[in-house]
Parts: sequence; C-alpha cells; structure tokens
Amino acid sequence: MSIDIEPEKAQEPAGSGPIGPRLARPWWMRPAMHTGIIGAILGYFIGHWLGNFLSWEYARNALSDMNDFPLVLGYVIAVVGWLAGLGVFNDLGRQILGKPVPAAEEEEEAFGGVARYFRFSLDHKVVGIQYLVGMIIYFCTAGLFAMAIRTELLSPSYHIMSSSAYLMVVGEHGTMMMMLMSSVVLGPFGNYLMPLMIGSKRMAFPRLEALSFWLTPAAFIILLSSVLIGGFPTGWTGYAPLSVQAMEGMDAYAVAFGLMGISICLAGFNIIVTVINYRAPGMRWSRLPMFVWSMVTVSFLMVLATPVLIGGMYLLILDRTVQTANFVNTLGGSSYLYENLFWFFGHPEVYILALPGFGIVSEIIPVFCRKPLFGYRVAGAGMIGVALLSFFVWQHHLFVSGINPEMRPLFMLTTELISIPTGFIYLVAMGTFWKAKLRLTVPMLFALALYFNFLIGGISGVFLSDVPADTTEHGSFFVMAHFHYTIMGGLIFAFFGACYYWLPKMMGIKLNQKLGYLHFWTMFIFFNSTFLPLFAVGMAGQPRRVFEYATNLTPLNDWVSISSFLLGASILIFVINFIWSTVIVREREVANPWNSRGLEWQVAAPPPPGNFEHIPVVLSGPYDYGVKDAPAVADLHPPVGVVSASYASAGTASTGVEA
Amino acid sequence: MAEQTTQPPNELDRAAEEAGFYHEAALNAAWTGSRFAIGALAFLYGAFAFAYFYLRSINSEGRWKGSGYHAPQMGYGVTILVLVLVSAVVQYAGLQRIKAGAKGAWQAAALVALLLGTAAVVVQILQLLSLPFQPGSSGFSSVFTDTYPVLLVSWLAAMLWLEILVMRARPLTAISFLEQPPTYAEAFAVQRFQSSLSAFTLVWNFMAVVTLFFFLLFYVL
Repeated sequence: MSIDIEPEKAQEPAGSGPIGPRLARPWWMRPAMHTGIIGAILGYFIGHWLGNFLSWEYARNALSDMNDFPLVLGYVIAVVGWLAGLGVFNDLGRQILGKPVPAAEEEEEAFGGVARYFRFSLDHKVVGIQYLVGMIIYFCTAGLFAMAIRTELLSPSYHIMSSSAYLMVVGEHGTMMMMLMSSVVLGPFGNYLMPLMIGSKRMAFPRLEALSFWLTPAAFIILLSSVLIGGFPTGWTGYAPLSVQAMEGMDAYAVAFGLMGISICLAGFNIIVTVINYRAPGMRWSRLPMFVWSMVTVSFLMVLATPVLIGGMYLLILDRTVQTANFVNTLGGSSYLYENLFWFFGHPEVYILALPGFGIVSEIIPVFCRKPLFGYRVAGAGMIGVALLSFFVWQHHLFVSGINPEMRPLFMLTTELISIPTGFIYLVAMGTFWKAKLRLTVPMLFALALYFNFLIGGISGVFLSDVPADTTEHGSFFVMAHFHYTIMGGLIFAFFGACYYWLPKMMGIKLNQKLGYLHFWTMFIFFNSTFLPLFAVGMAGQPRRVFEYATNLTPLNDWVSISSFLLGASILIFVINFIWSTVIVREREVANPWNSRGLEWQVAAPPPPGNFEHIPVVLSGPYDYGVKDAPAVADLHPPVGVVSASYASAGTASTGVEA
Repeated sequence: MAEQTTQPPNELDRAAEEAGFYHEAALNAAWTGSRFAIGALAFLYGAFAFAYFYLRSINSEGRWKGSGYHAPQMGYGVTILVLVLVSAVVQYAGLQRIKAGAKGAWQAAALVALLLGTAAVVVQILQLLSLPFQPGSSGFSSVFTDTYPVLLVSWLAAMLWLEILVMRARPLTAISFLEQPPTYAEAFAVQRFQSSLSAFTLVWNFMAVVTLFFFLLFYVL
C-alpha cells in the first residue's frame, strides 16, 4: 500500500500549516506565559472600565449595596486576555478564517526545551508536568493558609488576626484545596500516563487538554486576589444568602470556582473520550489498568456534575452583578436553591477527589506484593458503584439546613449504601495483601497509609451519615477531621505515592529514597497527630470557622497546631526532595525500576515523543505478577497489518460517517 | 505535503496503518465527544430547569411571579424559537443531502442555517435589552435572566462551529463526497469533515430541543 500524503498532517482542510514564520519571531513575541500575563493585565483594566461604563446607572445589587459588575467583567476579560496571550485562540481564529491549522504533533516538533513548559503545549506529557508543578504550588499555598489557621488556634483568646481575616484564611484554604485539588491526580498523572497506559500516542482533544490546565493558574490567581479585597466569609461552600451579601472578595470566589469547573469538565471530557476511542489493539476494557478505570469513573463525574457547579456559580455572579434574585428569599428566590445546586456537584466532588486515590493504590499494591490484583472486576465495579451513587447522596449535607424531614431517611440510606462499593475496594486490597510478601518501598508505604487513613475517614463518614449523629456533630471539628481523613488521608497520600512511583518514569530521574522515607514517616505520624485529636475536639463541641473556643480545649488545640506545623515541615521535605532530585542531582533512573508490568513502564524513561515507536498490541492484563508463563503485556513492535486488522472490521457505522 | 518516498516499504505501510488507526479513532472521538457534550449540556441546562421548578414550587414570599408581573414578550420568544428550530431542521436536511453526495446542497443549507441561527442570537440580544421586568423583580424574572444569556452563548458557539465547517468544506472537492478520493489524505479529510458535521448536527438539534423546552417553560406554562 502506498500513500501519497502523510494523512495526519492533513487534519484540517488544506493540510499542514506554515509554522516556520512563528519560529522566526523573537522569543518575547511568541505566545507564552509572559504574553498571557500582559493579556490578562490589559484585559482586566479593559473589563473593569467597560463594567463601569455599562453599569454606571445602577449602583447596588439586591442585598449587598454594591455594584460588582466592573470587577467581575474585569476578571472575565482578564481570563480572555490571558488565554489570548497564551495563543489559545490562534488555531480557532485560523479555522474561522478557513486557514490551515497545524496538527498537534507538528506544533510540538517546532517547540522544544524548557520553554515548552511555559506555553500552550499540545503534548500530553508537557501538560502533565505543567499540571504537576502547578498542583504542587497550589497545594503548598493552600497549606500555608492551613498553617495560618492553626497558628491562630494556638490560643483560645489571644488573636493574631481579626475574625474576618480568620474567615478569609479559612475560605481561601478550603476553596483552594477543594477546587484546585480536584485535578491533583487527573491533571498530572491522568494526562501524562493515561495515554501510555492504554497504548496511545496521543489524546483525543489536545487543545482542550491544554486549555484545562491553563485555566487553573487563572482560577488560582483570581481566588488569591480575593485577599486583596477583603476575602470572602463563606468558607469553600459559598452558602447563600451570605455569599450574596458578602463584599467584593466573594466575586473572586465565584469566578475562580466557575473557571475551575470549566477546567475540570474539559479535562474529564478529554480523558473519557480518549480512553473510549484511543486504546491500542488488544487493550480490552477487561485489561484496563485500575488507574485508568478510576480516571474513567472520575471523568464521568467531572463531565456530568461540574456543569451544575458552573450553573450555580453563574447564578451567584448574576445575583451579585445584574441584580437577579435567585438566592434572595424575599424577592422570590431561595437560598436553598444554591445549597442544592452546590451540593449536587459538591458530593460527587468528594469522589472526584477520592476515586483517583483508589486508582493509584490499586496500581501500586500488586507491584509491591508481586501478586495479581485480587478481584479486578470487583474493584472496577466498586469504582463505578461509588461514582453512580455519588449523585444520589447530596442532601445529607442539608440534614440540619432545612431539608424536608421525611427525606432524611432516604438520603441517610443512600449515603450508607455508598460504603458498600467502597468496601469492594478494601476487599480487593485485603485479597491482594493476603499471603503476599510486601516490599515496603516509599510508594507502597503511601499506599498502605491510604487504606489506614481512609478507613478512619470512611467509618466516621458512615457515622456522620446517620441523621442523629449528623445533627449532633454538624459544623463541628468532628466533620472537619472526617473529611481531612478521606481527602488528605486518601487523595494526598495517594498523590505522593504516585509521585514516588511514577516520577522516575515521567522525568527519568531517581527521587532520593532516604528523603522519601523521611517524608513518608513524618507525614504519616504528624497527619494522624493533627487530625485524630480533632475528632475529640469536635465531640467536645468546638465549631468550625470560629476563631475562639473553650479554654479547656487549649491543650488539644495546641497539640494539633504543633503537629500541623510538623506536618507542613514533612511536605517541605518532599518539596526539597523534588527540587534536589529533579533539578540539582538528576540521577538517571532505569526504564522500569519497580519491575512493573504496566504498559507505561515498557517504554524509555522519560517516554519518547509519540510515546511508542509503533502502536503496541496488548496481549494480556497488567497484573499477572507471579503468574507462571504469563504472556508479555504487549507486543511493542507488532508486524505490519496487525493494527490495521483491529480497526478494519470495525467499519464506520458508529461514526455516522458514510464515506 | 510530506512525500514518503525515501522510507523503506515496510515503514511506509506501517505509517499508513498507524495513520489509519488514529484516523478511525478521531472519527469515533467526534461521535463519542458529541454525546458527552450533550450530556454535559443537559446537566448545565438541567441546573436552570431545576432552578425554574424549585423556585416555582416554593413560590417564596408569593413572588414566583408576584404582583405587577410582566410576561416576557411573546413575539420575541416565538421568533427566536422559530429561527432556531428552522435552522436545526435545515441543517439536518442539509446533512442528509451531503451524505447523499450533494456538497453544494449542504453548503446552501448550512448558509441558511447559519443565517437563521445568527439571527436568533441577534433577536435574543434585542429582547434582553428590552425586557419588561427587572432581573430581580421575581423568581421567574431571575431564572429567565439567568437562562437566556447562556442559551445565547450556546447558539453563538454553535454558529461559530458551523461557520468553521463551512470554511472547512470549501477546499474539499464535490466529487470526493460521491466517490472515493484518490489519496488517503483527501479521503481522511472528507471523512473527518463528515464526522464533525454529524457531531455538530446532533449538538445543534439538541440545542433546538433545549430552546423548545425553555420556550414551553417561560412562555407557555
């Protein structure tokens, strides 16, 4: 078979585009972060001026006596300017004008070196690294806010900040963690590794993928800018009517959360379409790594739940700018409308955070047990079950907030039911550990810690799902301890486990193992030392988001605060290790240091451009450790004709195309 | 154009094979992506529908519509609905024609659909600039003011997509919709165009149904 024209370069009507002229420009004229920043600053001032111009005749909204329209328009046009400066709209503009658009691979070939990490790159591996660095920065910033909270709580009556400043810090910490950390696994590891794991050379929608990342710095900066204008008093939930009444800092919350919602939705959309359509021949659904299954289930939640959040934030912005009354009870609205919209997203959000953690540890434990993953299908069913049920539990957040009492038992039941598929995931772990000789490497320790921490978080969650218990503990530090055990104890431990497990593959360098062990043990000890006493503090009646408390709780609070500082120091060990190993020492790592069967481990470290030399043909599942005569996981150099045979029979019926 | 005459025959076959594989994947991605886009849009508009029914059912302070209620202008509502529905129907008919090989017929239909859809956007802007109520005067007015700007943006985005498709179709020869083109590159370009067009038509039809749904809520119920 001969071919006249390389098809992939003719993705758009007139074939490949002329990228030479763009390279000829000086670096400071090429679209990258610096042009994005210039665009954002210009956009903000234009938007603010335009907002004042358009809204000069109405000076206040329904509740807050303020006109926030200029600020919100400033934020929105700043984001547009940021994206325009990054060059996000360049290809769109070319398409609108009917000009040729270069294929993603062609664009990537034109730009290399470190500079590509600062630009709108269409390479999923670059986007993965961008996400990784971004998420570490966001996490550490939010962590500093947590340090500030615990510093304030060292004393019940002596204050280092005002009550409003304390609320601002609590809000910034909570929102940054819940909003930005939604992508802490899917962003770096999902984007980087998932194509490698399914045997693909590319993503389905690389531009959407890159856009999903570049929206996160915008959301981060906008949320942080709230500090400059008084912050917001609502915590991460943004409950109305307080959020409608609050000062301008609330606008930053609503715009940032809405933006992040768009980012999450796009990221999930790209991942799920890629998994469905870009799997290598032989990569059947029953051979998908559990990490990919977790990405699929999370992506479903992201695509379906976050549009409701975007809608909720949009309604809040309209209430605060164009004077609608969606959440103003006296004008025909309802504050409960916000609560319902928020939690319809908010509870699936909890599983958007939890499920990737399960995916990571399911990937790690068979490698270090040298046993097949026990109950592969059960694990998949558990993830799907958790994802489905997560849509039917949101009202348990409103047990004491005005829900119809007759609805309580139903939502109590659905909430308790979700512990069953979660139990599947534990069953899989226990079965895998059974009679295994565990290799206690750093990633494995983090994986084991997840099971320990999440067990405490999960059991306290079942306890809280009961209406009587929730009625007693609602709004207390008990609830706070519960969700930190599930999210930090689950997701963040898994994230660090993934860093130690996959960074050697992603960056081709060794992370210092001694520092890794030190990081793990200090983090594990001080995490538990921080959050376990908070159950007691909560049971003793200390409420969340209040900066004064009963004097008799001082010793416990001091213990927790000191532990939290040490917990922060443990994270610092990771940051030092990360910079030391990746920037200073850069000791090369072999391609498969863990002797893993995962497809991503069968290529060089770091993976070459295009991931695989040829499209691989997957021959067996990824977990056949210790199985005698287990076939190789894939043929990386299949004979010509095998790949085409895999799609020749599929035809074009499913595409709706009749060529 | 990248001539591959310098590569050995085996590598040439492999390149063609892999290109075919990813071409097929891209076609399927358009199909899958359009379905997921509809799912996401359904949940987005579901939030507005929920707000409508929620506020209507609780009628907070008796101000779902309240005293002195002014309905949105029916003339605008009907005009917008007709424009969007006809645009969707014309585009759908055009899709059937291009599937039968008539590129020119689709181009004409697409231009009409584009014109009608853009007109719907313009009329909607005019209505929002002359609403007979204040946005916060009632629950109804709030939800109305919430919903239609989002619909407007969706219509505008859809029209942008259609405009891109019209531009993409220009360099494709009419004969390539009737017969297998001589090169893979051309065949792939035509197939990708058709898969994008099918995806667009599905999403645009869905938007027409959403428009009809909200017309019934805001103008009929």
